[in-house]
Amino acid sequence: MNALALNSADTASAPRGSAMVAYFTETRYELVRMVRNPGVAVPVLAMPIALYALFALVIFGEAIDKDPNLGMFFFAAFSIMAVTMQALFGTGVTLALERDMGLLRLKRAQPAPPAAWVVAKIASGLMLAVLAYIPIVIVALTTGKLALEIGQVAAFSAALLVGSIPFCAMGLMVGSLASGTAAPGYALLIYLPGCYMSGMFFPLPKSMYWQTGIWPQFHVEQFAMHLAGITKYQYEPLSMAIATMLGYTVLFAGITIWRLSKKE
Amino acid sequence: MKTMAASENRLHALDAVRGFALLLGVAFHAALSFMPGWPPGIWAMNDNSPSQFLSDAAFVTHIFRMSLFFFIAGYFGRLLYQKLGASAFWANRGKRIAIPLIAGWVVLFPLISCIWTTGITKVFGGTMPPMPEMPKTPGAFPLTHLWFLYQLLLIYVAVIAGRSLFARLDPAQKLRNLVDKAVTGSLRVPIAVFTLGLPVASALMSLSFWFYWQGIPTPDQSLIPQIPASVGFGTAFVFGWLVNRSRDALSLIASRWFVHLMLGVIATGWLLHTMHASPMAQPGLTKTLFAMVFGVAVWGWVLGLTGAALRFLSNFSATRRYIADASYWIYLMHLPVVAALQVWVGHWPLHWSVKYPFILVASFAILFVSYHFLVRPTFIGQLLNGRKYRRNDGREPLPPGSTPSSPPPADTGNGAAVARLRGITKRFGAVTALNSIDIEVRPGELLAVLGPNGAGKSTAISLWLGLIEPDAGVVMLLGGEPQDIARRRGLGVMMQDVEMPKELHARELVALASSYYDNPLEIDETLRRAGISQFADRPYGKLSGGQKRQAQFAVAICGRPKVLFLDEPTVGLDVQAREALWKSIRALLADGCSIVLTTHYLEEAEALADRVAVVAKGRVIASGSVDEMRALVACRQISCESSLTAAEVRSWPGVIDVAFDERKLRITATDAEGVVRRLLASDARLARLEVRQAGLNEAFNELTREAA
Repeated sequence: MNALALNSADTASAPRGSAMVAYFTETRYELVRMVRNPGVAVPVLAMPIALYALFALVIFGEAIDKDPNLGMFFFAAFSIMAVTMQALFGTGVTLALERDMGLLRLKRAQPAPPAAWVVAKIASGLMLAVLAYIPIVIVALTTGKLALEIGQVAAFSAALLVGSIPFCAMGLMVGSLASGTAAPGYALLIYLPGCYMSGMFFPLPKSMYWQTGIWPQFHVEQFAMHLAGITKYQYEPLSMAIATMLGYTVLFAGITIWRLSKKE
Repeated sequence: MKTMAASENRLHALDAVRGFALLLGVAFHAALSFMPGWPPGIWAMNDNSPSQFLSDAAFVTHIFRMSLFFFIAGYFGRLLYQKLGASAFWANRGKRIAIPLIAGWVVLFPLISCIWTTGITKVFGGTMPPMPEMPKTPGAFPLTHLWFLYQLLLIYVAVIAGRSLFARLDPAQKLRNLVDKAVTGSLRVPIAVFTLGLPVASALMSLSFWFYWQGIPTPDQSLIPQIPASVGFGTAFVFGWLVNRSRDALSLIASRWFVHLMLGVIATGWLLHTMHASPMAQPGLTKTLFAMVFGVAVWGWVLGLTGAALRFLSNFSATRRYIADASYWIYLMHLPVVAALQVWVGHWPLHWSVKYPFILVASFAILFVSYHFLVRPTFIGQLLNGRKYRRNDGREPLPPGSTPSSPPPADTGNGAAVARLRGITKRFGAVTALNSIDIEVRPGELLAVLGPNGAGKSTAISLWLGLIEPDAGVVMLLGGEPQDIARRRGLGVMMQDVEMPKELHARELVALASSYYDNPLEIDETLRRAGISQFADRPYGKLSGGQKRQAQFAVAICGRPKVLFLDEPTVGLDVQAREALWKSIRALLADGCSIVLTTHYLEEAEALADRVAVVAKGRVIASGSVDEMRALVACRQISCESSLTAAEVRSWPGVIDVAFDERKLRITATDAEGVVRRLLASDARLARLEVRQAGLNEAFNELTREAA
């Protein structure tokens, strides 16, 4: 009955293409699910653009017309919030919910490539990030509240997309540690302080500068400022921003892998 | 209890780590021509595009790579010594270590000298500067990078001498048991990273000239043992040896991998920061602190990387096996190749980020090709790795390996079972869910696992699915470990308590699951076989409970499984759906699929099962065919109207159980004839007597009652 026992030669000769198919299919259906269940995504998508419109157009509209730097400041704050929040919630909360549903157990029992699910989650997080960002950039450019060259806008946007990766990893970490009901709470708990303490939303007093480096948001903003060549808001070297983002990604991803691979 | 298969798998992981440490050495040496601020002449080449990044990266790898190597060498050292005994051990080490050291040196030293001369002449613009003499101290000798073999031989001598001394001083093993406890205790807490770091830290603190970057100074200039290297690498070797002695140390290293690795990373971050401020150790607090943190970094990386490998690389992989086999040859031979390439590209007007990868890729290409053709199928491979491979397929060893790192385990033992639990014990905290049980599933049969709630049925299934690991015993699925994804491609599974994504249609769920398999059924065929074609295009969330179970069944069978696990598959199904599912199950059996079914519906087992295993309180209390089960308990059910009370009858010999309902006594008995005779004798007015063969239900109740 050796035909029934997979020997090592079979193991080695298993077609490599099948893993790619699994990654692709998993990602495709993750996006299909997102599209079919817009109720979850719409509120988080609408909030950043609504807040941006309120601050940049209504409250500080005139001030921005006088000082374009202020326009840049608000654009950076709300676009970073839009992108990173989607990355965090888009990955983390669904991951936690599906763990509760027993889907992780099933995937681990099935021959699903271990990372396919995680990749699919990251893809949907990034997709949501892009969807949340596009309205902000359109409004900012069409209302003239953003004085950047088109190349700078492209560089800034690319930087945000890269910068959302550590937040995808953060989401996966939260989703792998917390239950479905607790995950949104924990995600907010570790996300919101960073928005304020990093100086993203309002300028910080000098006495608080020392702690800005703790928050991933700060480094994403610095990375984007460097890539777009906006010197006014550069506070740390580019290499430091990259290294910290990379470090956080490795840390969060490491905790996630450790947690998900733990046998029950 | 450690099992053969489990420990062999661990060896795969440790072999991978050893190979990694050696290959990392190639990357390390390839970086050395790019070090900023190195005076010309220290290395074969000073590249015109130095790199601070490569300097830092080289420092980081240099922290741990040799300690990692000696740690694994210690583990395998004891394994080999236990397996071969003293004289065969020395013969083996002579062939694998001493001969490569001597032969390698004779071949490599002239080559290395020649390349160094060329390189340094190039660095100095065409004129060779006067070379510094070898230090005129006793024992001075240019060992080159082969020093590690010399050091290893010295450590073998010291450790084996120490071992005999211990054996003499500690005949009752008391001291050694204490040491074992200290090893596991320090890993559990985990403070081993700190305690193991202390010896190397104190050796480093005592150095009068210490460039932080060099870490443990390389003992490549002398045959006299150098203190820091002997202490640092000796500690690593001895700890590896002790880990091999200990029962639980490897599991602890595997489970603490993340903590250890993080300690290593954090300590390394601090070292880099401090080194950038001042690269040369000044006597004082910083030097002491640097040495201490260096010790933590060494052991954080060593234990973290080993643990991660045990955790993630413990299954057999042909690629990793090949690389691990190749690594010894590659490390021995790499230095002239790497240095020659460094000298060649040293003045090219290109950035280091182009040149360094070029050197790495070219070196590895040359070294792997040379391994594949000159070493693997020849006596050199036999000498270095203990086995020679045929040239044609590159896989089959010839003759079978005699080293601890032997080729992959095929299906050991009885090849007839597609899935087997052998001697399995599994505890959850204080609760023993399975207590040394043996179950096997044969090809093409349906095994029904019956038992009350909490009996251990789901634990058994989880073990087969690779979701949990046993505390003892061997789990086999399709000839190997269930964790191996290639084997899991041969299984299908339908679990309890799983909700599928409600937005996806049943057809899409099947398509997604099909993408995990190499040769799945056509999606429409899967839908047809599972009987869900009519509602395949409705969202899963809108299906009824029974339809959801059917959709899950479709997901389970889509990959043409060789073995199918069905955990309570018919819960919530109406009669027609259940009949349809039974029909599908019978069709799968007819196709040769093996099925493990847990169920509460005993008629389901009676209708489908070839064999039944009854599990109660974590043990298999009976197994056999449905008929054998009945025969085993030989129960018959007697019912009658009688004035006798249940309590009276219960005390009679041959009576197992008595119930009284609707004015009838219902007696389950093993000796039906005897009981009937006594009934008729005791009660003249006895009426409506019936005797019938007991169903599996009664058999099952009796069996589980006995176990309780």
